[in-house]
Amino acid sequence: MGDYTEKIEKAVSDLELESISGLIGEALEGGVDPLEILRGMSAGMTKVGELFERGEYFLADLVLAGEVMKEGVKVLEPHLKPESMGAKGTVVICTVKGDIHDIGKNLVGTMLSSAGFKVIDLGVDVHEDRIVDAVREHDARGIGLSALLTSMVDSIGDVVKALERAELRDKVKIAIGGACTTEELARRMRVDALGREAVEAVKIFESFMAS
Amino acid sequence: MRIIACATVAEELIHMGFPQEHMKVLDFALHVEPQKLRQRLQEEIDNTEGDCDIILGYGKCSNALEGLSSRTHKLIVPRVEDCIAIFLGSQEEYLRVQREEPGTYYLTKGWVIAQGNALEEYSRILEKYGEYRARRVVGAIFANYKRIVLINTGNYELDESRRFASEMAAFLGLALEEIEGSRRLLKKMIKGQWDDEFILVDKGLPVSFY
Repeated sequence: MGDYTEKIEKAVSDLELESISGLIGEALEGGVDPLEILRGMSAGMTKVGELFERGEYFLADLVLAGEVMKEGVKVLEPHLKPESMGAKGTVVICTVKGDIHDIGKNLVGTMLSSAGFKVIDLGVDVHEDRIVDAVREHDARGIGLSALLTSMVDSIGDVVKALERAELRDKVKIAIGGACTTEELARRMRVDALGREAVEAVKIFESFMAS
Repeated sequence: MRIIACATVAEELIHMGFPQEHMKVLDFALHVEPQKLRQRLQEEIDNTEGDCDIILGYGKCSNALEGLSSRTHKLIVPRVEDCIAIFLGSQEEYLRVQREEPGTYYLTKGWVIAQGNALEEYSRILEKYGEYRARRVVGAIFANYKRIVLINTGNYELDESRRFASEMAAFLGLALEEIEGSRRLLKKMIKGQWDDEFILVDKGLPVSFY
C-alpha cells in the first residue's frame, strides 16, 4: 500500500505525465484508499515546489507538474466519496477581471481539491458579480483571487466592494496570490491573506475554515 | 544621463539614436522573476558612476522596481505598468487595449528577439521531455490567449517580426493583429520631459508607484 503512495509521489515529482494515470489505476485496483493516493500526489507537488524554489525546476516544469496533477485527478475523482472531496469546506477561486494568467490559479485549485476542499473554479477574467453569485450559490467560506498583471490589481478591490454591497464580506475570507501581489497590496485591498507559493494555499484555507 | 533598460525597451531606444555607451541593457527574461530583476537593477544602479540621472527603462513590472534607490543618482521611471504601455505610447492606451481583450499576447521587435530565446526554451523542453509533453506545457501556458498583437512603433522594418508573429499565431492557433504603437513616451524619456507620466526619485529615496 505504502509502496504505491510513494511511487505516485515520485511520479508527480518526476513529472511522469504519461504514466501517472496507469499508476493510479493500478493503485485503485490494488485497493489503495483514494485519499492515500491524493496525499501521495499532494506530497509530490510539494516536492515540485521545493525543486522550483531551489532553481532545479523551471516554470515549464511547474506547468508540466500541473498537467500531471490534472491527469491524476481525472482518474481519481470518480473514486473519491463526495464527502471526502469537499470535507474541508467550499472555496471559490479565479483569476481576476482583466487578467487571464492561470497557471498558479490552476495549481492552487489542484492543491486545494487534493487536500479535501470543494473547489469552485470560475476560470479567468472573472467579473466580481460572478464571484458574489458563486459564493452565495455554493455557500463558500473562502475565496482565492489570482492576479499577475499589476494593471489589474484594482479588480481585487472590486471583488471586496461587491461582497460588501452583497453583505457577504463577513461570511467569507479572501486570499490573494500571483506575481504582482504583495503584503502591502493585501493590506491596501483589505483581504485576509497572501500566498506566495501554491502549496501555501492549503494552510491558508484551512486557517480560514477554522476561524 | 544614463539608461538602464530591459532589452525590449533598449531595442527601441537604439533605433531612436540613443547612444549605446550610455545605456546598460538587461536580459528580458528577468521579468518573470521580479525579485531577481530588482536585485540586478539595484546592482546596476550601484555600479553607475559619475554625476548623472539614471532613467530606468521599465514600468512597475510586477513590482520589481518598488523600493529601488540610489544615494548618488536621481532615478526616473515611466509611470506605467510595463514595457507594453511604453510601446503603445501611454498607460491609458495600454489599459484600453488590454480591457478590449484580456487574452492578448503582445509582440514588438524586441519581444520577437526575446521570443527567439523562448523558442530555445521550447527546444529545451522538447529535447528534455519529447513532443507530447512540450505541447501540453505550451498548451497550458497559452490556454487563455485569444490573439497576438504586433505593435508597430515605427522604429524599424517589421517584415521579420511579421513573419515570426504569423508563425507563432499559426502554431498556437491564435488570431493575429497589427496595431499602431507610439514613440511618444520613449521620446519624452530621452528628451528629459519628465512630467506626471514619470516618477522622479530624489537621491536616497526609494522608488514607489503607490
